[in-house]
Amino acid sequence: MTPEELQAAITAANVINMEVYYYWATAIMVLIHAGFLMYEMGASRVKHTLASGTKNILAFAFMIPTFYMFGWWIYLAMYGGFSPDFEAGAGGVPWGDSMGPNLQDNATGVFWGAFTLFACTTASIMSGAVIERIRMAAFIILAVILGSVVWNLSAAWGWHYLGWMVTGWGYHDFGASGVVHMISGFFALGVLINLGPRVGKFNADGSANVIRGHSLPMTATGLMLIVVGFFGFLGACVIFPGTPLSWADAQWANIYGQATTLSAICFNTLMAVAGGIIGCYTMTRDPFWMMSGALCGVISAAAGLDMWYPGLAFVVAFLGGLLGPWAAGMLEKFGIDDAVGAVSVHGICGIWGLLAVGIFMGGYPAPSADIPAITFMGQFKGMIVMLLLGFIPGYVISLIMKMMGILRASDGVQETGMDVEVENVAYPEQIHSN
Amino acid sequence: MLDSSPIDAWEGAAAFFNYAGSGGAVFWFWVMVVCCLVPIVVSLRAEKAAEDEHG
Repeated sequence: MTPEELQAAITAANVINMEVYYYWATAIMVLIHAGFLMYEMGASRVKHTLASGTKNILAFAFMIPTFYMFGWWIYLAMYGGFSPDFEAGAGGVPWGDSMGPNLQDNATGVFWGAFTLFACTTASIMSGAVIERIRMAAFIILAVILGSVVWNLSAAWGWHYLGWMVTGWGYHDFGASGVVHMISGFFALGVLINLGPRVGKFNADGSANVIRGHSLPMTATGLMLIVVGFFGFLGACVIFPGTPLSWADAQWANIYGQATTLSAICFNTLMAVAGGIIGCYTMTRDPFWMMSGALCGVISAAAGLDMWYPGLAFVVAFLGGLLGPWAAGMLEKFGIDDAVGAVSVHGICGIWGLLAVGIFMGGYPAPSADIPAITFMGQFKGMIVMLLLGFIPGYVISLIMKMMGILRASDGVQETGMDVEVENVAYPEQIHSN
Repeated sequence: MLDSSPIDAWEGAAAFFNYAGSGGAVFWFWVMVVCCLVPIVVSLRAEKAAEDEHG
């Protein structure tokens, strides 16, 4: 075997290994959706359980075809802002050679799959916030806009090596504190403002009632499944080495082209999960919030998971664990009924995650000299963009739906239970009565 | 704001986590230890309150 033949064989093996890696990372990411399904059904009262579950399953199902129709194209083409690069987007045109089985392309399918599952995550984040009163058709439309349009724009701008926030500001968001979590959290906030609270959430004097879901064990187990799924999610955030598409032959890289390792992700993901749980325990001693704390922790540390000192990742996550429940309480005081704390866990902790990188992680060089290093101002400006890019579409589109009368279920349906619309019941033997 | 990068370039880099090789890593290690101790104190106080009321 000549050296050239040996090199070709190594490259071919690496391409197959890359395909295997992303294929199984995508499969693990499905657990995020399974976890959100359990989380939301458990957080619902019995009479709303199946409606919450149906909504979540449909979000998953609608994300896949719509991401195929236009989501992937948006990611590839819109990295410069609102004006598309049609040449770059050609690889995402749904009838192109790359968008189906192709023996010369082992990459597009698995990358498309991983990004589609990121999109499913965004829709799931919103879906928990709006349970027990949003109408199904409105939810599906909002989920598609969030997961197959808005998140793709945020990813193209801040999670793409050519993205204008990356090349202009040195924006760093390895694990998507901004591009997934802030976008989803603030999109959900925009929707919640127009959707209004569940019947019975607030009293006439503005004070809030606690509405407990019917199965905290189901919710807690679902959250642990989400944590498992995050290993697929964060694993899919790194670029496999040694293929023609890779940044380097001998080392993993983040999506911006900076070197990293799976060991780095393992150290910091586990530290962040633990820091968030312990932070939330310190703040609330509530099992619901402790498991949400795992998310608070991961989201708070996510933007810098590729570079944190593990001890500092723990501290950043711990602070996120304090921040999440506090922010949820503040939102409630403003009359926002976020049934699962999605705005605080994903939106507010996402802000903290981006700013923490700016505060503690300055000075890291970019992969090339013409891209700025990480700075606080780069992260701060990126945070503002993510906040607006998430909030404005969520608010405007849900406002239009509200004006059309298609956003919110009537008080009567809410009091009877949203499950009347799904023609089934969660517990036929009426184990629970509320 | 805090320049914590231990590297100036990626070529030849080894330990690249922030504060690698500096006192900063030791500092954050001890902050982490404190973060682990605080909830234990919180839990002791909460348990004492429950014991006093129901024990």
